[in-house]
Amino acid sequence: MILTALASGSQHGYGIITDVREISGGLLQLRPGTLYTALDRLRADELIGVDREEIVDGRLRRYYRLTPAGTTRLSAEAARLQAHASTALTRLNLAGGTAT
Amino acid sequence: MSDQARLERGYRRLLACYPRAFRRENGQEILAVLMACAPDGQRRPGRAESADLISSGLRMRLRPSVPRSARTVRAAVRLMWAGAAVSTVNLIIVLAVFGGLKARHGRFLGHSLTAAQVSQLNTLIIPAVVTGLIPVALWLWMARANGQGWNWARSLSTVLFGLATLELTHYLFGFGEVFGPTMFGVIFPALTWLVGLAAVWLLWRPASTAFFKPLGLTQAGHSAQPSSRIPWSSSRWPRQF
Repeated sequence: MILTALASGSQHGYGIITDVREISGGLLQLRPGTLYTALDRLRADELIGVDREEIVDGRLRRYYRLTPAGTTRLSAEAARLQAHASTALTRLNLAGGTAT
Repeated sequence: MSDQARLERGYRRLLACYPRAFRRENGQEILAVLMACAPDGQRRPGRAESADLISSGLRMRLRPSVPRSARTVRAAVRLMWAGAAVSTVNLIIVLAVFGGLKARHGRFLGHSLTAAQVSQLNTLIIPAVVTGLIPVALWLWMARANGQGWNWARSLSTVLFGLATLELTHYLFGFGEVFGPTMFGVIFPALTWLVGLAAVWLLWRPASTAFFKPLGLTQAGHSAQPSSRIPWSSSRWPRQF
């Protein structure tokens, strides 16, 4: 979900939290502790990197962006989910046409 | 003190749960996000966000801090955790044996240990606990230091493995000639020695060497590695975190 939030461009921590909430339709509320643990892991795996840093109202604001490896991973994951969804919809249609 | 200052102080206390290197790198930034997420008028951290910060911080302290790309080092660190687990089991068994001695003595000989015997047994327990805890602590320390990319940790791990080899050899071919090595006495040292052998072998693989190189020597491709994982990186943010 964090990778998806960064797919359209670099974002700072608070921006990621609000974007993830929007993407999930309000179902997923990332807390800062969880977010930064995840960001640290994603940086360690070199899926994201720091784009730039700004000081806003005396506070550090760091922007994150997808790395090429992150883009590849997100694309692969999106394709995998799409394939699963297609299979599920196809089978539901075959089973009785409950899916539209 | 204003509500904001009080809230910020509360968050700073909670951020102490995170490793120091991580706080220095990210503390100011997390604090900014926490303050941005807090509704107006909030005076202290909420229960849910406190739990989130505490659990995230502790999780970060416990997990191996090695990027996935450094697979051999990750595997070595995991083996060291396994070594710590084996050493802990060994210690528990030793303590259980000591504890069972008193009960068995009473059951088979029909009388309890004398006060002098209990005292003698107790004096044996303390060294046993200490010598049992040392390997556990060493495993954990080496796992942490190697996971952080310290080059000295790799060398020290190898030296410790050498000492463990000498100890095992001494037990098998020294003591063993007099008392005869017992199954219990051999299994755990042999198991931990094998774990150590695999860990040291992994630490000295060419793929691991890249992870242990100092920052100044790394290629551009390594620059994406977070500096929180690089002990030699300089701190850019105040030490209040």
